[in-house]
Parts: sequence; C-alpha cells; structure tokens
Amino acid sequence: MSHTPDASLPQRISDLLSRVACELVLTGPDDDVPSVARTALTELDALVRDGGLVGVDAVRVALDQALASGSVRTLAPAVEALSQRWESWRLAEQLLAELGPSSASADDDVPAAATATVVAAEADDPDLEAELVMLQADPELAGMFLAEALDHLSSIEAVALQLETSPGDRHLLNEMFRPFHTVKGNAGALAVTSVQELAHAVENLLDAARSGQHDFGPSGIDLVLQSVDLLSAMLRDLGSRLAGQPTASRRPERETLIVALERLLAHGEPAAGTAPVVAAVPTSVAVQAETAPAPRADRPADATGTPRQRAEDLPGQTSVKVDTRKLDNLVDMVGELVIVQSIIHQDPALRVLEERLARNLAQLRRITTDLQRTAMSMRLVPIRQSFQKMARLVRDLSRKSGKPVDLVLSGEETELDRRVVEDINDPLMHMVRNSLDHGIEPVDVRIARGKKPTARLALSAYHQGGHVVIDIVDDGNGLNAERILAKAVSQGLVDKHATLTPNEIHHLIFKPGFSTAEKITEISGRGVGMDVVRRNIEALRGRIEIETTPGEGTKFTIRLPLTLAILDGLILGVGAQRFVLPTFAVCESLRPLPEQVHEVQGQPRMVRVRDTLMPLVRLADLFGISDAVQDASAGTLVVIEDANRRVALQVDQLLGKQEVVIKSLGAALKKVQGVAGGAILGDGRVGLILDAHGLLELKLGTSAAA
Amino acid sequence: MSQNDNTTATPAATKNLAGKYLTFALSREEYGLPVLKVREIIKMMDITAVPQVPAAIRGVMNLRGKVIPVIDLRIRFGLPAQEDTDRSSIIVVDLLAGGDRVLMGVVVDAVRDVLNITEQEIQDPPQFGTEVATDFMTGLAKVKGTVKILLDLDVLFRDDAAAMVERAA
Repeated sequence: MSHTPDASLPQRISDLLSRVACELVLTGPDDDVPSVARTALTELDALVRDGGLVGVDAVRVALDQALASGSVRTLAPAVEALSQRWESWRLAEQLLAELGPSSASADDDVPAAATATVVAAEADDPDLEAELVMLQADPELAGMFLAEALDHLSSIEAVALQLETSPGDRHLLNEMFRPFHTVKGNAGALAVTSVQELAHAVENLLDAARSGQHDFGPSGIDLVLQSVDLLSAMLRDLGSRLAGQPTASRRPERETLIVALERLLAHGEPAAGTAPVVAAVPTSVAVQAETAPAPRADRPADATGTPRQRAEDLPGQTSVKVDTRKLDNLVDMVGELVIVQSIIHQDPALRVLEERLARNLAQLRRITTDLQRTAMSMRLVPIRQSFQKMARLVRDLSRKSGKPVDLVLSGEETELDRRVVEDINDPLMHMVRNSLDHGIEPVDVRIARGKKPTARLALSAYHQGGHVVIDIVDDGNGLNAERILAKAVSQGLVDKHATLTPNEIHHLIFKPGFSTAEKITEISGRGVGMDVVRRNIEALRGRIEIETTPGEGTKFTIRLPLTLAILDGLILGVGAQRFVLPTFAVCESLRPLPEQVHEVQGQPRMVRVRDTLMPLVRLADLFGISDAVQDASAGTLVVIEDANRRVALQVDQLLGKQEVVIKSLGAALKKVQGVAGGAILGDGRVGLILDAHGLLELKLGTSAAA
Repeated sequence: MSQNDNTTATPAATKNLAGKYLTFALSREEYGLPVLKVREIIKMMDITAVPQVPAAIRGVMNLRGKVIPVIDLRIRFGLPAQEDTDRSSIIVVDLLAGGDRVLMGVVVDAVRDVLNITEQEIQDPPQFGTEVATDFMTGLAKVKGTVKILLDLDVLFRDDAAAMVERAA
C-alpha cells in the first residue's frame, strides 16, 4: 500500500514507540531498563535522524532525553514526553493533509491520488518552490498559518458584505483592513511572497479608504471579494503542495488582480452608472468560491479544535484548540460515567442508606448530569458560519440573475451540533438557489404584480421544543400546485387519478427526478436538488415542511434535532434483547385485542387500530429472535410512522423511555437496514437503535405511493 | 483470487516477524497475535446480536462507552460451533481498516501467554495453493514443542470488510 519507502516511516516510528511503552508498562520504577526498550529506542533514534522527516526537532530533543535516561524511573516520563511530541508532529501532518486539494470537488476522497508525481505545473512559477521552504521546516506553524489566514478571509468576506449595505462606514473599513494586514504580515514572515503581494495590494487600497483618501465603493468591494476568493484558493494550493500534491500556478490571476487594485486606487471609483471595475479573474476561481465546500474554511478549525470564538466577538474570552478526537472520547467517557453512576444509584444494596451517603450520592448525580450537559454542549457551534455563506451566495446569485434581493438573517447565534451545521450547508444552499431561481420573479414581473422590486429572502434559526428550526421565507411566486401536479403526472411519479391534498402536492417536489424548470438554468441545475435536500435533512433525523401562497411567497421550515448524539428513545423488550426506538417515530402503542388482528392466508398479518388497517410485523421475526412472545395480543404493539406510512411493530413489552447516546456501530455494520446504531443502556448492555424508515422499507419495500 | 495491492506472497522470512505475541487457543490450535495490536483482554460479556450480518459477526459490545463489533473467530475460521466456556475470552484488537484505526473484539476459547518469539523459531506458513487465501497467516512458530499459527488480523478483516461492503452495495 505504500509507494515510497518513507510513507511507512511514521507508522514504524509509532509502532516502535508503542513497543517501548508496552515494555515499560510491565516494569516497575526500580527495575532495570528492559533491553528490548533500549534496542527500540536506538532504532527510533536512527529512524528519526536519518528518515528525512522535517520539523521533528522537538521530537529529537525528547528522544535524546529518553536515550540518556539510566533507569526506568527517569525513562518512563521521558518516553511519555516523546510520545506527546511525536503525536503533535503527526497531528500537524494530518492537518495539512486535511486542508486538502484545491480542486472544486466536494468529495473528500480525492487526496488519495497522491500517487501523481507530475511536477510539471511548478515549472511555470519557480517561486512556488521557494515559498514552501519555510513552511516545510515547521509543519505545525504552517498549519496554524493556513488555518488562521483562512479564518481571517472568512471574516473579511463577512465585513465586505456588510459594507455593501452601509458603504463608507469607517469602522467596517478598519475591520476589513486589520485582517489583511495580519495575513500580509504572517505571509511575509514565512516568505510566502505570492500571498504577501496580493494581500499587500488590497491592504494599500483599504488603508487609503479608511483614511479617507479613497472613496470606497462597489468596485472596491468587488475586488476585495475577488481577492478573498483568490487568496483562499492560493492558501489551499499551499496546503496541497505541502502534502505533496502539485498545483498550478495562479500567477496570471494574481497579477491581473493586483493591477486592477492599483488602478482602482490610482483612478478612484468609476462614476455611478458606468460599469464597475472588475478584474478578469478566470471563472474557475469564482466558481470555486461558490461551490467549494465552504466547510473547508471551517475544517482546519474543526480538525484541530472547536469551538473557536473570534476575539472581536467576545471581549475577554479566550479559546483553546482541542483535538476533536479527544473531545469525542471525553463525551464517550462522560456517557459511561452517567451510566455507571446511575447503576450505583439504583443498586438495591444502597437502599439502607445512611443519610450522609445518600446526600453525597445525590450530589454525585447532580454533578454528573451537569458534566454530561457541558460535554454535550462542546459539540455545539452557532449557525452563523452557515448563514454567512448564504449571504455570499445570495449576493452572487442576485448579481448573476439580475434580481435584486434583500437577505435578512436572524438567529445566527443559534447553536447546533457541529456536524449538523456542516451537513445542513448543502441543503440550505440549494434551497436558496431554488428560491432565487424559481421562487423570486424578475423585477418587471414583480412590479407588474404590485410588489416591491427588491425581493425579500429571510433565513432564521431558533430553538423550539428540543429542536432547531430553520425557516427560509421568500416573497416570490409561491408554489404552483397545478403545475407541480401536472409535471408529476407527466413524469409518472403520481397516478393521474390520485387525489392529493395541497400539502401532498407540494411535497411532490421532493420526489427524485422532479423538476418544473422549463429550462435548466445555470443556477439551479437539473432537478436533482430537492430530493437530495430532503434526504440530507432526513439523514440528520430532521423534517422539512412547506407553506406557500401562490403569488405571495413560500416558506420552507426545516426541523432538526438539537443534537445528533442524543436520542429520546422508547426501550422495547423482545425476548432477551433490548431495542431502542426513537420516540419521534412512534405514533402510539397498544395491547391489541385478538379480534383486531387479522390473518388472511397468504397475506401479511394486519391489525386494525381504530379505523385504520395496517401491516403487523413481529420484531422477533424481523430480527430472528426465538424467545419472544408469539401472540400479538399477549405482547404490545408500537405503531411507527415514516413519510405517511404506518406499521405496527409487535414487541414483548415496553420497558420505558430513556435518553440514550447514539453510538455508531462502525463501518462494517453500517449497512444493516432497520438499525441506525447502538445505544448503551442503563445496565451497560448495548441496545440496537431501530430506524423507522429502514424498518418500513424492509417490510413494505419502496412503494411509489407515499 | 483477490487482487491485493500488497505484493503477492513472498516468503514470510522477508518480513521481520520476531517479537512479542499474545497466544490464544481456538479449537485444537494455538494462534499468536502481535502484542502491539492487542488493546486489552476481557472475560466474556454481553454481546448484542445484530441482524443480517455474516454469522462470524457475533454482534456488538460496550467497551467503556464505545460500541465495537465482536467477531467469532471460530466461525470465521469455519470451525464447528461450540458453546462458550468460562475460559472464553474477548481479545480487543486495534486494527487498520481502510486507513482508519478500528477497535474490534475477537472471541477465542482461551487466552494463553505473551511469548517472545525469535526469528529462528518462525517458519513460513503452509501454502494451501491458490484456492484458499491465507495471507492472514504470517508464519508458524515452534515454541516449546508446540506450534502456534501467527496471524495478521489486518489482512484477515480487510478482506472481510471489502466483502461486506460489496454485498451491501
């Protein structure tokens, strides 16, 4: 699997370190240093020195100390320190690898193509090599530089968009100047001249603007945004090159942009009415900015730490970088703590408690609950970044389509699980595109309808009853039920004679392959969108609802669970097994009377619940459990619902309701249909979490009517 | 049969297999696992069965807050099934599956010792011809009169994982 001898070197070093640590575990502080450990350390020394790794000075120092230790007593801590340094080095390497290639592909698997050894691109620009020298010397520093710079660019973008609505605001101009100045300085210190030059050109413009010498206007904002895009691309290229992948030179774009900036500074803003000065930046960069998974900017922060608060937002608040793996481990451990604590609390031996012990246990429980809440909250981040990307998207789309749009954001501080924020990004972007393309009418149509020429698009996020709700409201066309129905019928998605409620008709837009676009526009594409949007949201255990008034507008409401990690579940007992069913999928539960159950030969068993007939499924049959209750009337039925289909699950008994932490079953078991994961129950056993959608699919198959 | 991207089997002697191994018993054979791959050893505990998975996967278990899969090595090796005894144990191993580190539990009949096996004691593994893929057996060690089969679990489960992914697709 390794192509070059060096690729396995880090792993070998890690293995040797493990071996040494292993040896030391079995020895006492007063024992002699085991010869195996000595040998391993010597081997480590050779590998680290001659292996050609860069940036391992800290590791070498620790290694020397370890080699100099005469006894286990001194060796053990030295080895500990060595392991830590080594891990830091590996982390830095990993971070650089994660910054990923600069290609506009949303797929993260692309980096595997590191086997490509074509270096021809670099011949275009010999300076590219020179730039890498200092960065390669200190990978950790390089990682920090790249992550921080991207972060700065992100905030610059936000300020630029604000400036569009309040031009000439001195405070904002300053806010934009500072990060450019910082990026330029850092780049200069690390001799990354390409970044430094471009940042410097923008900095000059902004300096003149904030001191009143230059009238900053739309052209300036345009150029600043283009610079942000180009600089982001350049930084990502740097990351790729550090990870060993070649990238093309961006010199032509850079020089064009620098010239445009200088010209703007020299001649000032063109008079209103004339075309704004726009540098001819190749569309590849522009497209990249729009479609590149903007999570890239987040991801460096994510890979090394979260949350990251901006110093400007919260005076006096500092933050630390934490490895997300450590964070996840912490959350796992806290989860276990809660369970064990709970078991102790319920132990019958503790019934006869003396007062003080009882009080202390209660205190322990309170602290544990608090700890869990805090640990969980570390996974939460505000939706602000996501909304910010929407702002940029709306601006660009509005320009491109010539439809003026007023974007109103609210609730940006609403917190969500960080993975949800990442995953909700694409669906949100798509819905915004859709709104701008299909929802919002061209200016003349709006005026003819008596509407304000500038359309209004409002994105808001808020908490509601254990959920996070995101509303997307536009005052455009609204959904045309007739056209949707007609299209669906013509595409065979719905039977001609079916009677559907208006709501059901609206939900047809989520069917795969559906599109009412007369022509496929550049903006919203080929009707693959809404289906994927719905699936993405469902993957997050969320729901999407539509409210629309023809001629007036549309409102999409996305409802997401507050955290992906915790689930409110109903514990089901089937034989000796325990299952967890998410409460949101449960409609009701009942003990059926024998006459409610209908069994017709050759047909699946059905049960009549009030006036509805629905399929009856024995969970024991589905999962091959032999010691379960046979008769439906001796057990309990739980009615589950997914996308308007219902099924009654037969279980032995309901054992209660519990909040459980969802554990993934691992890659190997991910594909089991009907099972969404595992949960650690109160007695320490694992209960499988059922997936209502999967169960229904399993039983009913994918039916066209839904 | 399967096209591995490892080089086709060259004699085990080219890899340095010497080192510490954890030995365990399964049916009538004894096997060895490189000790660096062993995370911990636990007594048999509750394993939750997972439906629709190959028989070799007994299910999942709770390892201090992590849910990890548990493989029944006996079934995996095609040996006749047997009831667990009170010596049955679970060895938690740290594997590399597709570039990720994965923890897995492996059920064995009994755990034996940690042995330091030298290069001289290791011979090439038996070649059963191209029909049976045995890359996961890295060598045979003759120690104190008994023969232990040395295993590379990364290889064993890599193929399993691939097969499962294929089947699920």
